Amino acid sequence: MSNSHLFLKPAFITTPGQNGVGRYVCQLQRVVLKFCKSHGASRGMREFIESDLINFVKNSPEVAVYLKPRRHRSPIIKAEYLNGETQWINASNFTQEEVLKWLFLVKSQASNRTGIRLRKLLHTDHPSIQGPWTPYLFRDPKLNLTTFPNEELSQADVQDETATVKLLKLFQLQKIEDLNEKRAE
Amino acid sequence: MSVLKRVQQWATFARVWHIYDATWQNPFASAELIKKYLMGLYKPIYHPMNDCGDHVIVINSAEIALPGDEWTKRVYFHHTGYPGGATWTLAWELHTKDPKMILYKAVYRGMKGNLQRRHTMQRLHIFPDANVPAHLLGNVSNQIKQLRPIPKRLDHMDPEVVKNSPKIFDYPKDYIVR
Repeated sequence: MSNSHLFLKPAFITTPGQNGVGRYVCQLQRVVLKFCKSHGASRGMREFIESDLINFVKNSPEVAVYLKPRRHRSPIIKAEYLNGETQWINASNFTQEEVLKWLFLVKSQASNRTGIRLRKLLHTDHPSIQGPWTPYLFRDPKLNLTTFPNEELSQADVQDETATVKLLKLFQLQKIEDLNEKRAE
Repeated sequence: MSVLKRVQQWATFARVWHIYDATWQNPFASAELIKKYLMGLYKPIYHPMNDCGDHVIVINSAEIALPGDEWTKRVYFHHTGYPGGATWTLAWELHTKDPKMILYKAVYRGMKGNLQRRHTMQRLHIFPDANVPAHLLGNVSNQIKQLRPIPKRLDHMDPEVVKNSPKIFDYPKDYIVR
C-alpha cells in the first residue's frame, strides 16, 4: 500500500447474495446516456447511439437504457444499480469504443467501485481449516512444569567443541599414554 | 461474535511473557534478539498495524559484557537543553550510575524511531539482578536462549576439578596476583 492509497476507502471483494453461484442477476438496473446533439464532446456518444446502441440493448434486456439529449452540456453515463447506488461517468470526448467499454464495465459490476482500495485481492468463505494460530501451538508441554528463570533452557547452543574441552581431552589421552608406557616398562 | 470465536481471538493475541538472562551477554546483540520478542516479529500473525508484541523480563543486566574496549570508548551523549548542558558519559560511568541503562538504550536504539517505539519499550522490564517481583515472574512462560555460553571463572570452579586439570605453567614465586 503506497501513500497515495491512504485516503481511499478500504473495501473487500463482495458479491450480493452469492450472485453467479447457480443463477446470475445483472446488478445494473438503469443506464441514462446524456448527450448533446450538436456539441463536439458528444460526438463519440452520438456515433455509439447511431450504430452500437441497438445491439447493446438487444444483448442486455435486463438493463433499462434511457437517452437524454440536452443542449451544450457534456455527455454523461449515469448508471443505477440494484443496491440503490448511482454512478456518474463523464464521457466527454469519449470515442464510440470507449463508451461501449464503460457500458460493459457498469453492466458487469454490482456497485460503484471507484475511490476504494481493496484490502485483499482474494476472497474465501473458509479462510482457515486449521483455525487461527495461537502462541500455544506446537509449544513444548515440558515448559508448563518448569520454573523460570531456568538455567538449562537459558544456555546458548554451542555447536563446536570449546578449546577447554579439547585441552581436557588431550590431557586425558596423554594420561592414558603415560600409563601404557609405564606398563610396557 | 460467538463465545468460541471470542476465546479464539484472546488466544491468538495473548501476550506471552519471556525471560532473558543478560549475564555475560553483549547488550547490542541481545537488543536485536529481545526486539523480535518485544515487537512480536516471530509470530506468523505479525503486521506492523496489529498489536501483537510480547513482554520481556531481562535479569542480571548488571552482569552484561561489552565487546572489546567499549567500556572505555563508548560514549553516551545527553543535552539538558540549556546552554552548556551537554554531557558525555562513558559506558562504564553510565553502568555504575544505572546498571539498567545500557541495555535499555541498546534496545531502544535497536528499534525504528516511530510512534510505536515508546509503547513497545513499556513491555520491556529490566532488572539489575535476579530479584524479580513474584507478580511479574508468575506470568513468565518462556525462556529466551542466551547468545553466548557463560565462561566459567577459575575461582568459581570446584577446587577438586581445578586440581585434576592440566596446568600449563606455574606462576613465578615473586609474582603478585592482582
